[in-house]
Formats: sequence, structure tokens, C-alpha cells
Amino acid sequence: MNLADMPTPLRPGSARVSVERWGELPGGDVARLFTLRNAHGMRVAISDLGATLVSWNTADRAGRVADVLLGHDTPAEYFAGHAYLGGVIGRWANRIENARFALDNVAYSLDRNEGDNLLHGGAAGFHRSLWDAREVAGGLVLTHESPEGDAGFPGNVSTTLRYTLDDDGTLTLAYEAVSDAPTPLNLTNHACFNLSGDETGDIRGHVISIDADTFFEVDAALIPEGRAQVAGHAFDFRASAPLGARLDWPHDQLARAGGFDHCYVVGENGKTLEPVVRLYDPGSGRELTMGTNAPGVQFYTGNHLDGIVGRHGRRYGKHAGLCLQAGAFPNQVNMADAGSVIVRPGEPYRQVTWYRLGLQQ
Amino acid sequence: MTRPQTAQASHRIALLFNANKVYDRGVITGIGNYLLSTRVAWDLFLEEDFRCRLNGIERFEGDGIIADFDDPGVAEALGDSQLPVVAVGSSYSDPACYPARLPYIATDNAKLISLAYTHLIGAGLQRFALYSLPESAENRWAQERELAFKALLAADGLQADIHRGLPTSAPVWSQASAQLTSWLESLPKPVGVIAVTDARARHLLQACLISGIPVPEQVAIIGIDNDPLTRSLTRIPLSSVIQGTEEMGRTAAHLLHQMLGGARFHGRRILVPPVGINVLESTRHQPVSSPYVMRARHYIRQYGCQGIKTEQVADYVGVSRSSLEDHFRRELGCTVHQEILNHKLEVAKQLLARHDLSSAEVAIRCGFTSLQYMYAVFRRELDCTPREYQERLPVAPCAQPG
Repeated sequence: MNLADMPTPLRPGSARVSVERWGELPGGDVARLFTLRNAHGMRVAISDLGATLVSWNTADRAGRVADVLLGHDTPAEYFAGHAYLGGVIGRWANRIENARFALDNVAYSLDRNEGDNLLHGGAAGFHRSLWDAREVAGGLVLTHESPEGDAGFPGNVSTTLRYTLDDDGTLTLAYEAVSDAPTPLNLTNHACFNLSGDETGDIRGHVISIDADTFFEVDAALIPEGRAQVAGHAFDFRASAPLGARLDWPHDQLARAGGFDHCYVVGENGKTLEPVVRLYDPGSGRELTMGTNAPGVQFYTGNHLDGIVGRHGRRYGKHAGLCLQAGAFPNQVNMADAGSVIVRPGEPYRQVTWYRLGLQQ
Repeated sequence: MTRPQTAQASHRIALLFNANKVYDRGVITGIGNYLLSTRVAWDLFLEEDFRCRLNGIERFEGDGIIADFDDPGVAEALGDSQLPVVAVGSSYSDPACYPARLPYIATDNAKLISLAYTHLIGAGLQRFALYSLPESAENRWAQERELAFKALLAADGLQADIHRGLPTSAPVWSQASAQLTSWLESLPKPVGVIAVTDARARHLLQACLISGIPVPEQVAIIGIDNDPLTRSLTRIPLSSVIQGTEEMGRTAAHLLHQMLGGARFHGRRILVPPVGINVLESTRHQPVSSPYVMRARHYIRQYGCQGIKTEQVADYVGVSRSSLEDHFRRELGCTVHQEILNHKLEVAKQLLARHDLSSAEVAIRCGFTSLQYMYAVFRRELDCTPREYQERLPVAPCAQPG
């Protein structure tokens, strides 16, 4: 099956695409910026550096257009940055405990870039690579080659990501990857949203609902310890709740992560690609919905954004934005059901995730 | 930290609220939702008429209390309670105003006012005023909203015009209305007015209608509470900030649940932000320069669903039909008839979104002469049938717990 045969809502997309030179990277390579525009004036900017989602401009209830993504001004800042803002994460999104796994009776040792663990693909992850990019009808196709031994992973992995934008405000990310040898793979996008469009504020006033009955509790290094029911706890977003109050509910898991940085199990309702998360900002009236065929959504409330330099030299505060990252479970390669995160020759990796931005009805 | 997961012997819990108000009902609904989402079984004590009575509360043989601390009597009666108590009420800018040792769940007054204020700015307003309440021990939250309003306007270098008015009671009603009208008339316009409650917002709206001030062109109005009762009493639908009352209830229930398991939250405060704005006609401010168009739209907003024609609008405005049509074409690029039709269509869309009326009923309420005509208008303007429109409306993706 190729990308064109993938299920709805992977529509062809209707956006017009333009391209510009964005800036130089250390070493002299030039990063480009592609802008997708739909019929209602929505603009999504994507760079070939890290296949990064750089900005998403859309109108609020009063028609004022603003960017709902956190980011930096220049590609050099993205390249040097440590916040992964908007970048595509590979080969492994989130953490692998002790930077180790075993596959087909072979033990592999990976780069350690967060204590003893591997985080977000290691030091030279997909988000810092210059991808090949070409415009297609309604969007953009980006490709990336990861050689055998990249961060310690086996196999040569070739990744294709297609971004498309529709007139209804849906941005679809369709990932496909093949490998010439068995290897774990877990891709995601690290877009960090603040729907108010006000980067100086925080997301405490945002209201979220997440269609999940369980999530993973984590240890002190944020490695999953086990699945827990959301019912009766701060983690229960089956009915929508404002984040400001939930961040202050008593829970040792929230104290441990400095807020939410937990993976929700969303793939169990049998509703592939149905909306699983709804987020809105009461002030602007902007609303984000999200769906995915991945089994997990990592919900991160920007607990470590404090001090990160954003645009125009301004520093973000704690909880300045939030991430909704679709993918496998953190450290799943070392947990039950590790088999389902292994890509083998002839068995490609596929993920479809969509985000739709609109206004509250 | 204790985290009870299994069903336990039921605890007796008293809820001390005056649940005749939409705010308190929201809090109690949130408590109920929390209980339904868990396996917690509480034996809840509430007065039969949902009014809070304090006599005998010290003899309540229960395990815990969640109470409305906006009522000074409640705060006093529970000051020395030996039972676990979770307090619910107004936020305060002065920390000394909170009860010292109790966990306290507050509605965030500063965020409520800031949401209303930024909404009015978004609607294009540049002058702002607040309609508050006379100072009393029962509504300290109104004073907190005044403080929040003053602080916001001071930060933007603007003058805060605040009218407290009189307490609402039958004997002084006409005096209160007269005072309110003269205050409204004295304000430079256009102006956006925040009312500290929907009940106060209704007074404002009524005063504007009686003295012929176009809403929202001259005075845009937003209340707080999103009270459906108030909405049903006003001819121009009222915009309102929605407090996070259900989350307040869920948070209070969660803390008490933990306290019954041995946790202690001495003096912990959780501020709950508002969860939305119901944006309706009273703040759909579109600056227009022609006073004729302004008056005409004011009339259409009130009577557009009652079968009015262009002649009646022109009569109300006091100009000839052709002159009014000229003004409409220049300002809005449409005819008076089209504006009336747009109004009907907007109301029909709102009614369809409620999902509790038949299409035929919607057609009648919006003043369409027949169901077929409403279908034709939907087909022409929206390229769908009313039913298809209804089906296209987004539905909340997440199931309710329980």
C-alpha cells in the first residue's frame, strides 16, 4: 500500500504551497521554509530542517490571525535548540530505559542523552537533519535516510512524511518508513501548541478532553512503570477540564513530572482516526482536535519550557505551550508488546495523525 | 498519598450550597460527576429544597463537608468543625481573606473578568465599564471582580467606570432602573459593559431596550454565569462567561475523597479558570457608522423572527424605505430583507444546534412562513438541508465518564 491508498481522513489536501529560503545552518547547508495555505487563509509553515512544523497561523473568534505554535526565529536556533519545538522525532520518540534493548536475541546499546536513557532519538535525531522536500498536490512530502548505526539502531531506515492541509483546517501527517533490517521505530511530531496565540502566556486557561481510560505512570526518570486507570485522578480528561486546576490537583505523578508528561492509551476504543483529543482556548475561541491510528498520545504540558528562548528573543515560561504527540508507548521496546514497534523488511512502519484547527461552535 | 481504588463503606457527606443558583448547581453536578467516574459511594446530605440551612450543622453525624464559603454564615459555622471540610467560593486578591486552615477551591475572578474584557476588545470595543453590586458580606466576589477590572484597565492606561447600583428588590426597582439608565446614558459610546452576573446583565439589557440604546452597536454587554434562565428572559441573546463550576465540584470532591483516606491539604488553594464564553448577539459588535443601519439592526435583532418586513423596519427607523435601502447597501452591502433573512438563519442555526426541536418547530420560531421556505433558504445560503446542517455540527469527541 502506498500513501495514496491510505484511509480517510488522509485526503489529498487542497492547500497551495510556496517555498522560500529560510536560513543557513552551521556547515553552510540552507534550510527552506514551505508555506501551505488553504482557501480560508490558514497558513502552515514547515521546514526541511527536521521536517519541523514551524508555525500555524489561524484566525481567532474575532478574525485576528496569530501563530498557535511555539518556535524559534531561525533554523540555526532550531538546530542548536533543546526543546524539539515542532520537530519530527526519530528513530525513537520519548525514552528508552538505559538506552538498551534486545531484538532477535541481539543486545543493542544506544546513545545516552538524558542520564542513562535515550531521549528523542539521541543527540543527532531526525529533528536536526535536513530532509529532502518536494511540493505535491495539497502539501509537502519530506524524506529522510537514517543509516545503520544511527544513535546505535540497526538497519538503514528510509522515512517519508507527507503533510497535507485541507480547507476545513485539518493538517494530516502520514508517516511511512521502511528498513532493510529489523529495528524498533517510533516517530512523532513535537509541535507545542498555545491556542491563544500569545506566547507570553501559558496554557492554564486551555480546556482539554482526552478519550482514554488509562495512562502510564512513570518512575523518577519518566520511564513507564505500569498502566493506571484515569478514573478518580487528575488524569481523568474523559470529561473536559481546564488545565489550570488539574495542574494543581494533588498527585505524586504530577509532582514527579512537574505537570503532565504522560502517555495516554488511546488506541483501544476501536475508533481508528476518530477524534481522541479536543483542546480549546476560551479566550480566542480556537479549538484543536486530534486523531491518530497510533496507540498512544504523550500529553506534555511544557513543564521544562521555562527559560527556552522563543521568537523575538523572548523567553518562554513554564507551561507556555503543550504537546500532543502520537506514537507508541515510551520505552515500549523494553515492555510487553515490544514486537509491535519493530519494523522489518517488507513490513513498513505507518502512522497517520491529524490535527484540525477551527473555532468553537 | 492514599489512592483508594475500590468500593468502600459509604461515607456521609453534607453539601452546603444554595443550589437554586446555576453556579451552585454546576458545583454539585461536578461533585456528582466525580462520584460517578469513580467507585466512591457517598451518602449525600442536601436540603430537600436545595437551600442551605445551618441550624444543627454542628450536630451532623457525618464524615465530611463540602460547603459554599461565599456565605459568611457557612464560613463561621464551619470554622471549628472537627470534620474534614473542603471550602468552595470566590478567589481573593488578598490571601488573608481565605480561611486559614482549610483546602479551598476558588472560581478565578481575575480570569473571569480578563476573559470578558479580552472578548470585548476582540469585538472591537475601546471603552469599557463594569456593572457591579452594592458591597455586602454575601457578595465579596463582586468586589473581587471590581478589583480585577480596575487592575486590567489600569494596566492598559484606561479609566475604569464602575456602577454598583442598588440592591435588587421590588420597592426600589424603578429607582434602580432609572439610575442605571442615566448611568448608561452618561457613558461615552460605543462601550462594552461587563456585568458581574447574568442577572445584572439582564438589568442592563432591559435598561438599554427601554431607553432605545442599540445593543450591541452602542452598548455591548457580557455577563457571567451563562444562566439559561436569564437567556430566556432577554429579547437580545446575552453573551456570558462560563465559570468552571463543574471542575470546581470535581476538584472539591477529589480533595475530600483523599482526605477521607487520611490525606491532609491544610490551606491548599486551587483556582479554577473559566471554561468558555457563550458568544451571542449582545457582544456581536460590528462597528457601523450609519445611525439608521444601527437602529434598523437593533430592531431586526429584537423582532426579526416575528414576520417583520422592510416597511416596518423603515417606519421604526423613521426614514423612507428607499433611503434605508441605500444606507444598507453602502454599509453592509445587502438589502434590509437580506439582513432580516440572515437574522432568521442565524437563529435557526442556534436552535438546530440544541438538538431538541423539530425542523418544523424551528421554522415557526424563526418566523419562516413555511418549512419548505426554510429548506429553500438553507439550500441557497448553506448548500444543505437543516437536517444536514445539524448532522455536520461537531460533537464532543469524548464520552462522559460514568
